[in-house]
Amino acid sequence: MTTTGTATREPRGEPTGSGFESLAEREKAVRELVARTCLTMDAYDFAGYLDLCHPDFRYTITTYSPELRKDITWLDHDFAGMETLLEVLPLHASDHFLRLVMSRHLGVYTVAYSENDTRAAVVSGLQVFNTARDGGVTELLAVAKYHDVVALEGGEAKLLVREVRLDTRMLGETGSLIPF
Amino acid sequence: MSRNATEWRRRPTLAPTHYVDPRIYTDRALFEEEREKIFKKVWSVVCHESEAPNAGDYRRCRHMSGKELLVVRGVDMKIRAFYNHCSHRGNLLAMEPSGNARRITCMFHQWSYDTRGNCVAITRQKEGYQDRVSRKDMGLREVRTEVGLGGFVWVNVDDGCGPLEEFVGDSLDYLKEELSAKPLEIISYHKAVVNSNYKLWYDTNSELYHDFLHHHNRKIALIQPGYWDRRVHVHDHGHVSVDSMECRYDAYEGNDGRQRRLGWPGGEVACHKLIDLFPTMTFILRAPAFRLDTMVPLAPDKVAIEFRGFAVKGDSAEDRAARVRDHNSIWGPFGRNLPEDEIAIVGQMMAMKGGDDSAYVLHGREEPSIQNEIGMRHYYGEWSKWMERGASDPFGNRAIAAAE
Ligand code: FES
Ligand SMILES: [Fe+2]
Repeated sequence: MTTTGTATREPRGEPTGSGFESLAEREKAVRELVARTCLTMDAYDFAGYLDLCHPDFRYTITTYSPELRKDITWLDHDFAGMETLLEVLPLHASDHFLRLVMSRHLGVYTVAYSENDTRAAVVSGLQVFNTARDGGVTELLAVAKYHDVVALEGGEAKLLVREVRLDTRMLGETGSLIPF
Repeated sequence: MSRNATEWRRRPTLAPTHYVDPRIYTDRALFEEEREKIFKKVWSVVCHESEAPNAGDYRRCRHMSGKELLVVRGVDMKIRAFYNHCSHRGNLLAMEPSGNARRITCMFHQWSYDTRGNCVAITRQKEGYQDRVSRKDMGLREVRTEVGLGGFVWVNVDDGCGPLEEFVGDSLDYLKEELSAKPLEIISYHKAVVNSNYKLWYDTNSELYHDFLHHHNRKIALIQPGYWDRRVHVHDHGHVSVDSMECRYDAYEGNDGRQRRLGWPGGEVACHKLIDLFPTMTFILRAPAFRLDTMVPLAPDKVAIEFRGFAVKGDSAEDRAARVRDHNSIWGPFGRNLPEDEIAIVGQMMAMKGGDDSAYVLHGREEPSIQNEIGMRHYYGEWSKWMERGASDPFGNRAIAAAE
């Protein structure tokens, strides 16, 4: 599933519906939210990440497999599922990964508003780097795009939908216990 | 008490069948010998029939011998496998991982082949070769191929090999119902190139002692009734199977507290069956999900592992989604278990590859339970037959006697 905006509004003096003071404020909130999802996950601040998510959050990691000539969904969670996943991660050998420095590099490409300005469809480019504690070597783990839908309600931005659309299908030697 | 150099290298106080020389995982000459004596001689799965469902579908695969293969479903619907290797000057024929074509044309000088491997066109044949080269002599190299035992595509590059049935023997009987009740369909594929020896992955798949590694397995299996009653069984030709149990999905935090109700046709709900086939394959049914691992060893310290997930052909949308979720949340590249196993074998190689000063690797557990390491011992017994070398002293030069 790839989510894109259905309608883009021309900039106007005042956004409707979303409760922001100005277009600039609204845009800033959207961009900061997307960036903060990366910063919180980089910091393994799972609670901080979940705070940025809408109660109806849906998170998927998908890719196209040229081998099978079809889409594959590698992870699929609602808010509760994501919350449990992040809670349980430290019980897995992910403590190994928690000792890695993960760095999510993000570039927001497009933001499209719809539904009376209460939704923003955001497409961003993403690269994820892993830096080993031992020796400090950095490796590119994955190249992907975020296809996000941000909910804009009451002057607040929350992440409603995130599809991590991977280009990279071979994720290092070992895959990644930590989602991104 | 820590050990000095002599003690470190001393044979363990176990029978020689119960440990191996670490050099079987690191020595380059042994690896080349394995390629000649084993990989080029035994049957292995290279893909599944559902990866080429229609006439003309092809799939580019890698055989464990290292050779590139082209698996093609012919217009007669028969699946054949060829070297993915142009008869002209050796270019790779198919470059895409999969596709559909009635004719495969080499991009280099445009020779063409049909789905039976016949060479059907040589550009400017008369002008260049007159009558000295005939298309009929320029067909592709076809390799022994059988489709079966769950719709898998089995290949053996040795034309003189015995039949697949003989190689598999009764090892897959334990999954016979599940593999035949309904056709399987592939739902997930991914590959990992891991800096480790392929046998270390096989070891991990065949010893359940490492269930301690997996938080998920500890919860759904290890602490549950029936776990310790399971046994490991050995079969001819080095193969191994492990008894089933009812996994308690509801005991794992990540499963929303729900036990699985969806089973697998011909099998029990939430069953957990495991079969390892010598030398590079593992079949695991943890209903509702099914997984196959195959390997292409690339070097003593490098292996490409291919992971496939399967559902049942004709699943309802809801059942399909449940199988995909249960497969990928544990066994996908973002799954809970797979990275844990991979981290472990990478760690083993990092520790062992520093020259030849590694201690023997123990395969010696004999407890009458699922954690008996008879599976690994059986494997290395078979390995020794093919290699004509003992796995505990492959070069006959490392005999520091065990302590009294
Ligand atoms: S190498 Fe294939 S046509 Fe020349
Ligand atoms: Fe494991």
